[in-house]
Amino acid sequence: MGVSSNESIQLCIFDLRRGQNEGQELDKILFFFPAGLPFSKQLSVIGLSEGLITFTRIFSPEAACEVIEAERHSHVFHEAEPDIWIIMVVEKSNDSEPIWRDDALRKVLKEIHSLFVMFHGSIRAMLEKEPGGGLTRRHLYSFIMDYLRDFLAGKKLLLPSFRDCLKERRTVQMLTIGREAAIEVQSLVRVLESSAGNTICYSLILFQDLLVSTTLSPDDTINLFTYAVLRLTPHALSAGTSSWSYLRKGSTASNVATESNVAHPNSMSESFYGSSDISSGEDNHYHVVRPLQSDKWSKGKDGYLVTDLWGAEVGTWVFATPTVLLQQTGQKMYLCVYQHRSLTLMLLIPVSSVLNGEQGVSAVRQQVIENASLKILKVEEKLSKGWGGENAYHVSGYRYLLVDGDRNISRASPATKVTTLTKESLLAMNKLRQEVELEKNRAKLDSCNVEKDLEMCVRAKNNAWVISRVTRGKELYMVLEKANETLLYASDAVEKFSDSLEIITNSSKPNLAYLSIPKPAENTNCNFLSWLSMAGTAMEHFHWTKENQACGARK
Amino acid sequence: MSGKASTSKPNIGLSGSDGLSHAYIQYPPLRCNVPGSGELFYDDGNKLVLSSTSDQVFSWKVCPFDPLIDPTADSISEGPIIAIRYSLDTKVIAIQRSNLEIQFWDRETGGTFSHKCRPESESIIGFFWTDSQQCDIVLVKTSGLDLYAYNSESNSLQLVQAKKLNVSWYVYTHESRLVLLASGMQCKTFHGFQISSADIVRLPRFEMVMAKSEANSKPVLAAEDVFIVTVYGRIYCLQVDRVAMLLHSYRLYRDAVIQQGSLPIYSNRIAVSVVDNVLLIHQVDAKVVILYDLFADSRAPISAPLPLLLRGFPRSSTSSQSNGRESESSDSNVLSSHEAVTYSNTWTFLVPDLVCDVANKLLWKFNLDLEAISASSSEVPSVLEFLQRRRLEANKSTRAVTTVPVAKQLCLGITRTLILEHRPVPVVAKAVNVLVTSYSHSIKTGNYLKGLKPEKTSTSVQNTGAEVSAIETDVIGKSVIHESMKRVDSGSVNKASTVSSLDSEDDSWSANPKHNSKAAHSAYVEQSSLQSGQEESQLTSAAISPDEMYSFVFSPVDEEMVGDPSYLVAIIIEFLHSANSEKIRVLPNVYVLIIQLLARHERYAELGLFVLNKILEPSKEVALQLLESGRQNAQARKLGLDMLRQLGLHHDYVLLLVQDGYYLEALRYARKYRVDTIRPSLFLEAAFVSNDSQHLAAVLRFFADFLPGFKNTSDHNRYCRILNEMNSPITRE
Repeated sequence: MGVSSNESIQLCIFDLRRGQNEGQELDKILFFFPAGLPFSKQLSVIGLSEGLITFTRIFSPEAACEVIEAERHSHVFHEAEPDIWIIMVVEKSNDSEPIWRDDALRKVLKEIHSLFVMFHGSIRAMLEKEPGGGLTRRHLYSFIMDYLRDFLAGKKLLLPSFRDCLKERRTVQMLTIGREAAIEVQSLVRVLESSAGNTICYSLILFQDLLVSTTLSPDDTINLFTYAVLRLTPHALSAGTSSWSYLRKGSTASNVATESNVAHPNSMSESFYGSSDISSGEDNHYHVVRPLQSDKWSKGKDGYLVTDLWGAEVGTWVFATPTVLLQQTGQKMYLCVYQHRSLTLMLLIPVSSVLNGEQGVSAVRQQVIENASLKILKVEEKLSKGWGGENAYHVSGYRYLLVDGDRNISRASPATKVTTLTKESLLAMNKLRQEVELEKNRAKLDSCNVEKDLEMCVRAKNNAWVISRVTRGKELYMVLEKANETLLYASDAVEKFSDSLEIITNSSKPNLAYLSIPKPAENTNCNFLSWLSMAGTAMEHFHWTKENQACGARK
Repeated sequence: MSGKASTSKPNIGLSGSDGLSHAYIQYPPLRCNVPGSGELFYDDGNKLVLSSTSDQVFSWKVCPFDPLIDPTADSISEGPIIAIRYSLDTKVIAIQRSNLEIQFWDRETGGTFSHKCRPESESIIGFFWTDSQQCDIVLVKTSGLDLYAYNSESNSLQLVQAKKLNVSWYVYTHESRLVLLASGMQCKTFHGFQISSADIVRLPRFEMVMAKSEANSKPVLAAEDVFIVTVYGRIYCLQVDRVAMLLHSYRLYRDAVIQQGSLPIYSNRIAVSVVDNVLLIHQVDAKVVILYDLFADSRAPISAPLPLLLRGFPRSSTSSQSNGRESESSDSNVLSSHEAVTYSNTWTFLVPDLVCDVANKLLWKFNLDLEAISASSSEVPSVLEFLQRRRLEANKSTRAVTTVPVAKQLCLGITRTLILEHRPVPVVAKAVNVLVTSYSHSIKTGNYLKGLKPEKTSTSVQNTGAEVSAIETDVIGKSVIHESMKRVDSGSVNKASTVSSLDSEDDSWSANPKHNSKAAHSAYVEQSSLQSGQEESQLTSAAISPDEMYSFVFSPVDEEMVGDPSYLVAIIIEFLHSANSEKIRVLPNVYVLIIQLLARHERYAELGLFVLNKILEPSKEVALQLLESGRQNAQARKLGLDMLRQLGLHHDYVLLLVQDGYYLEALRYARKYRVDTIRPSLFLEAAFVSNDSQHLAAVLRFFADFLPGFKNTSDHNRYCRILNEMNSPITRE
């Protein structure tokens, strides 16, 4: 395999419907990272992938190959659109334990594609519009390079590895709020969405980096949530401004520069993908919008976030309102982002229903301010009061990840707490998750309607307990490093967890809630547990491990 | 008030009943005509209209108002009659024969005696019975008030107390228990006493404002220019200033009289009625009536001056109008056109909401046309507030009122229309908030229950001066006296009923959203206003419960509305918002409706959010609806299942788990929560259907181990056999 040893990661996108004739092979390549790799090497990676896809399709026409494990590399496949494939090649470490998890890497690929489609539409549609592919390549190149820049640390791309095993990409993290606050939020949502008259709008509300409310479909929610956390939330904005001066941007810029310099030995490939530092002024009758370019959003005086990423309205100095494409309905929407302190509101207005372009949008914006500003203040205040801080969802003694697969929600121990785990624990968890994925996929292939229940407790090398439990769409992963010798102890600890949770759920009967004097809306710990009650089914049955064993013994 | 009723002077004017009006009188009137009878009298203590012949007195009960009621007759001796009043227990008839003598007539024994005053020094202006504990009857004399106890055994009056004052004339209403005594050259100096069941309160002396037309002229205030008005349990005094053409209003507190502002008048003759706490200022000469709602701070009228309508009169309105003009000359006994004249000069206004046509001996009752009032304003929230303050009597004689009061029906209708017209969410939200706040208030004060069954509060609130609201003390700076009042039940007017606190009364009326904050609210509770002993008939509150909101607004609107549900969902959210801030329990049917709306349009993500955030409070109904909607969406079904589990509805939960094929989990759960109400065969059947012999064996084993006597059941034998059959082909291979 022609992968240069100094490049541990490769990422490519190709179209199986293109370049099928001898001598036109280059045509099928839509994106390749690193771009500077000689075409021959790029083609060899793609050729191998293509061969494997064709081969595995013989056996499984619907779902072709997902991953190749070679001696030194893993190839992760993702068919983003029919016949358009994204492949990631990662180098394996010398350790015996795998540091990568296919599923985590595939989710990166999915994220790249989903975000791209949200901003630019599907790749296939783009190619159909412009069969030459040059514009598509330029779009993909600038978009993915902007995206990957976030993963850069020093000179290396840091893709999700075992250290991120207690995180789940392509899920949203939600803020737990009390009923009162929830109603307040919903009231705000309705006012927001009715600001554009009878047009059906959608909205997303975030507090800090957590989702509070959405009226979008789950997939669209993930995309917009991801984008918001990457570029829009106060956190993302301030990261931008601080890096403006020196740290982040300075280093990234230089890195990308060196990387592109090093990796762009031949000008041919550069012209093939388009230049890496595209600016709107360069060639151009066509402006490539780069939504992921960092440090481009800022807060305006009226509370709305503004950006020049979408250029300016023709003939004016007014920045064009960003537009996004909804996956569920295929509608093109204007994206208006309003920010008040920690609260970020995203309002999506159908482009088709706004007749006079920017003027119409600014009318809606004005309407929002008129109708909702009081409610926004109120909601922000309420949520801030109940906000438990970064570590609000930390439960001492536990390092956990909860995923609600139905709703694409996850919650995990705070990253700073996860880093206290030893490498052994994390590697074990990584492996465990890999196994669970395999098991889940197998169940999916069996395609029975009943979702599999799954439970695994593993003792890691460092004597930590690594536990996973999957029940009816909900997954719990947990690391107990300070657990005692026995499995009994470990399951007891989990049971304790689940018991406290049951108390919460039982006491939350509506009648009682009404009779008692209303508590302050948010009690972090309590709410953490009540959120967990979602995963209640999952949690309740830990003690069944014992009984199952007993049962098995009897048999 | 009888003194006033009999002293009214005939006025001249045109009459007319036009189509547009906000107040009306309903045909037929009550005929108080007995052959040979003379003058009509009004006993406002018992709400009786009285008419006397030479040796009999006939009485018509006018509360509740029933035009077909027959009079009761009592024999009395002959003689001149100035006033008649029955004692509050109706056992004794008191007849003022002259300005010196009052005769008492015991209806049971027929015993009679006369009470006379000293002719040289004083004369009797009038008298009234009271429900005070200290005295039974009060005589108003030129020399002051005499409070007497009536002694039926000794057939005499015993003087309890005398208040020495110079009195020119007086005004009294039984509903306020307040007597105002006019004195002075201009008769504008007033002394007030409230003689209620608990206490006798002496109001501070106060002067009324009189504008002067010229430097030297001093107009004299007449009795017919002063009105005691009871609205919302507060007592006001209204005074006509003929020179300034203003109606001054004073609010009477126990220790203060505060002028409240003035209303313009457009007629020389003014009459005041109170219908359902709405003030009707009759501009008699102009033949129009102006409506005011004194609850609100503003003195703006509810509506423009409009004529009074005669409803149900069996003739066309044009002919009644033309005939009305002839009324001045004609004098007939048949209810003819000239009798159907509004504001004729023979009209005598009775407290609180009656008018007597003394010439034709007809008694009419004023009514409000709430529909017309609400239709005339576009300011929906304030209309709703107004309607919510109405406590219309659930009177048998008013045909429109059957089960739901008019005000309530109007409120529901208005709200429905708002939603169907897709008015902006904030507007509807405001309207809904008015209704919810009003309901919450009526719950707190027990008014809502009162509507359902007559219930009297008998709690006495001891006021603490420190808590008197800042606003009130700033204005008045008054002390707080504890006082009680008497309420009279509708069924038995004469029966004195429970004593309740005066101060809580005002509270029950402040259904104003402006005052819904705690501080403002307590201001109303703690107000030490002088309040009346209001005679309440069985009142129904217009408050709308969440359940009614559902069945009369949301549910019908849902049926009528087409298209996107998000608007209706938005409205219901606003409803929940209001209900939550008022701490009102919302019934599950509203939640069920939200689920249906969202599920119908496949907005399952939002539905999930609503359930997780407990916006839809968990209940079995909600859970079942989630399960029902879950037929189309597995996530919704899971939410429903989870809710059942959280609610501790173990039986349903286990059953559904088995149905969904999670029989092993169901078994575990059943064991943990000791659910033993589900037949083992269900589990076994489910395991059998899944075609997994291991699982079937496990289920069998479970029951064999944990269910005593299971091994002897037919289920056990049957599934053992099935298990053997399932396993046999494997062994053969």
